Amino acid sequence: MAKSIHIDPIATRSPTELASKRIPVHAYARALADEHRVRGADALLEALRHMMVIRAFESGIASLKSTGSYGDLTYAYKGPAHLSIGQEAAAVGAAMALTPEDHIFGSHRSHGEFLAKGLAAIQMLGDNALTTIMEAHGDGALLRTVETHLPDESGRGLAENFLLMGLLAEMFMREIGFNGGMGGSMHAFFTPFGAYPNNAIVGASAGIATGAGLWMKSEGRDSIAVSMVGDGATGCGPVWEALNFAGMAQFERLWDNAGFLPVLFFFTNNFYAMGGQTSGETMSWDRLARIGVGLREDACHAETVDGTNPLAVADAVQRKRQLLLDGKGPAILDVECYRFSGHSTTDVNAYRTKNEIAAWGAVDPIGTFRESLVAEGILDTATADAIQSDVDARMNAVFMAAADPAIAPPPGLGSDGAGIGRKMFTGSETPPDRHAPEPLADPAKVVRIRKNAKKSRGGRDANGELISPLKAITLRDGLFEAILHAALIDPRIIIYGEECREWGGAFGVYRGLADLFPHDRVFNAPISEAAIVATAIGAAMEGGRPLVELMYADFIGRAGDELFNQLAKWQAMSNGLLNIPVVVRCSVGSKYGAQHSQDWSGLAAHVPGLKIIYPATPRDAKGLMASALASDNPVIVFESQRLYDQVELFQDGVPEGNYKIPIGVPDIKHVGSDVTVLTIGPTLYPVLEAADSLAGRGVSLEIIDARSLVPFDYGPVLESVAKTGRLLLVSEACERGSFAMTLATNVTRFAFDALKAPPRVLGSPNWIVPGADLEHGYFPQPFDIEDAVMTDLMGDAGHNRTGSRRWDDLALARSGL
Amino acid sequence: MARIELRMPELGNEITEAQIDAILKGTGDMVSEGEEIVTITTPKVTMDLEAPATGTVLEVLIEVDDIVAVGTVLAVIET
Ligand SMILES: Cc1ncc(C[n+]2csc(CCOP(=O)(O)OP(=O)(O)O)c2C)c(N)n1
Ligand SMILES: [Mg+2]
Repeated sequence: MAKSIHIDPIATRSPTELASKRIPVHAYARALADEHRVRGADALLEALRHMMVIRAFESGIASLKSTGSYGDLTYAYKGPAHLSIGQEAAAVGAAMALTPEDHIFGSHRSHGEFLAKGLAAIQMLGDNALTTIMEAHGDGALLRTVETHLPDESGRGLAENFLLMGLLAEMFMREIGFNGGMGGSMHAFFTPFGAYPNNAIVGASAGIATGAGLWMKSEGRDSIAVSMVGDGATGCGPVWEALNFAGMAQFERLWDNAGFLPVLFFFTNNFYAMGGQTSGETMSWDRLARIGVGLREDACHAETVDGTNPLAVADAVQRKRQLLLDGKGPAILDVECYRFSGHSTTDVNAYRTKNEIAAWGAVDPIGTFRESLVAEGILDTATADAIQSDVDARMNAVFMAAADPAIAPPPGLGSDGAGIGRKMFTGSETPPDRHAPEPLADPAKVVRIRKNAKKSRGGRDANGELISPLKAITLRDGLFEAILHAALIDPRIIIYGEECREWGGAFGVYRGLADLFPHDRVFNAPISEAAIVATAIGAAMEGGRPLVELMYADFIGRAGDELFNQLAKWQAMSNGLLNIPVVVRCSVGSKYGAQHSQDWSGLAAHVPGLKIIYPATPRDAKGLMASALASDNPVIVFESQRLYDQVELFQDGVPEGNYKIPIGVPDIKHVGSDVTVLTIGPTLYPVLEAADSLAGRGVSLEIIDARSLVPFDYGPVLESVAKTGRLLLVSEACERGSFAMTLATNVTRFAFDALKAPPRVLGSPNWIVPGADLEHGYFPQPFDIEDAVMTDLMGDAGHNRTGSRRWDDLALARSGL
Repeated sequence: MARIELRMPELGNEITEAQIDAILKGTGDMVSEGEEIVTITTPKVTMDLEAPATGTVLEVLIEVDDIVAVGTVLAVIET
């Protein structure tokens, strides 16, 4: 924290050496007899049976994929099959040591992890709890189906059928699948058993699990979050960002409830990442566990353990879990195991030898464990065979039922075919169910708030003169007021980004919040855009409502997967089981050139699943931010740096109390009759200037501020165009592929008969944003707007162009511009 | 003995004015160089302005909530 740590130049420049904790490799040596005594025979037999269940399940899928049949079933399964045959002990060992309240976030190869977690949870939960859970899921539809078609006398047996059916129906894209068929093989999850979303993006679960850990810490829960990704994921930047985030020094030094995030980074190390060999070829590390020393003196408690032995894994997970609950995390486990099956069904094993596969076959976790239980006298061969045939019979029945469309029909897509679309957003707003703790100070005494109280709410004085932003509420203040109000009443709101406390957010929006909220509500994050967004998603999945900041929209690229594949998709991919109420603020810059000045709102609007707002006035900023923070959907807020000091010009003033402006409704800022001008973001202001000048020439503009990009109500625009017959769209985004182009296309279609001229998009040209002194030739200026109105829309051939755009759009397009 | 002025500093080419938040030293107070005298707020930041020299505050030329332009003399110190 600024000023709390003195960096002493003498001390820091003194010679020393860095040492790290040594990393145990395969240190597990407990005798099976001891495990038997401590865990009891039942636990060991269950571990064996759970491995058998996973093997049978995945063998069924493998068989369907390669032969089109399995047992009595013939079925063309079209989805992916990243099987973990050979890796069962890793999954089962981990699950043995976790409670249903511990949450795992897995990978593309997650059937085993999912089933292991589910089977273990079923063991741990009583029949009553299981019944409640199964009844609650999807109004009991899956449970009814299982009771009818896969009955079982025991509560646990029924729950196991529920688990297998929920997963397989999900893979077959059926309505009763755990996620309504919206996730499929790589994504299925079921939170009541502690199995959280599985991710097809390698390494993505690391950041999301870290966010879950953040929220578990915030709530003081007695549980941990587990990132379950492969060895190949250690090559992914976001995984390193997550590891660092989970161990930020502030958790111990500055947070009231001291302790690092309870996150276990469990790497299922099968030595390969598709066709690349990690140790020895694609990675720098020789042994995966070594990465722990890259971060911390305690080496993140890293250990390499034998992933072919469920008990070695369970022992390690149990020990790490305790460290994590004691606040000593994060922890890394390098769980070595081997995948007998191919990476996917198109894998021809070109990258490994038969010899190697056979050598690992000789230490097959299931065969080895079964034999050792027999040798120890815990199991006899006949019983082992009976367990196996019971598992096989159960599996066959589940496959038959899941494949049968009469039993498990596909999801209905609605009479208009848009059923999946209706899963993208929720209409809900979930208010807090508890009060926020008292703020650290009386808000009325905070300098920012005291000063705002004295400011004029409107932007003009009695004489119509503009008031200084020091004396009138600005867009920055509007955002602040909405955020302050929400944070004071809603303890789920946590605010972070790269300089949110003392600095007050990159552009001062948060100034004053650090006086009111402790570190667990407002904190500085590392320069890790991917982790900032990923952790926000994980925290939201656990019940938090993070508001995170990316300093510049240009940094969206650093969080591309997190914004576009994770934040945007999990509501729909979970079939609405999860909401992701995250608000991401990012500023649109200016004056800093090509990598700090881009309006990328259209990029975000292109990806389905994100609500997008771009307010241009203080009143709109406050009301839209209030809606964003209340919404259960993910919202991205674009804020123009040029407008932070903007005072209110359109309404009497910014209301003092809290109010909401609905997301998706454009606003008429100026009534006119000849040309409708639809503005996005800060282009509202040059358009206003152009309107003044054009009025002098007898041309009247009707100015509509889009305010939101997604959703977007075309109503007011179509009504206006019905009146004017002409439409200009002005935005600072590069024209090619921009959201203004989408708006123009749709208005052309919906208002074709009313149009006197084709709609014109005036954006930025398709080249880099130049630095400050050349920006006026790049972003649309009042003269450019006048030119576009007069020539393209009013058809004034004699118009004397005064803007800088004299280029030929068709010629430029031919050369890629 | 010299009279040294504390002026509203240049804070980058975008900031032309600031508002006085608090006055931490009054006429007659002893100050040492680097000691905070005035707190100001610009639209973006709140910051303390420090005494440019050690001496006695001779005059304070501003009041809380005044808006001052870059270059304005805020206080005078006699060394
Ligand atoms: C970001 C990303 N890059 C590439 C892929 C394609 N891909 C899928 S699995 C995989 C290998 C992952 O290796 P590892 O993490 O070791 O897991 P394993 O497949 O061995 O279980 C790759 C490259 C992907 N899904 N996501
Ligand atoms: Mg691997």
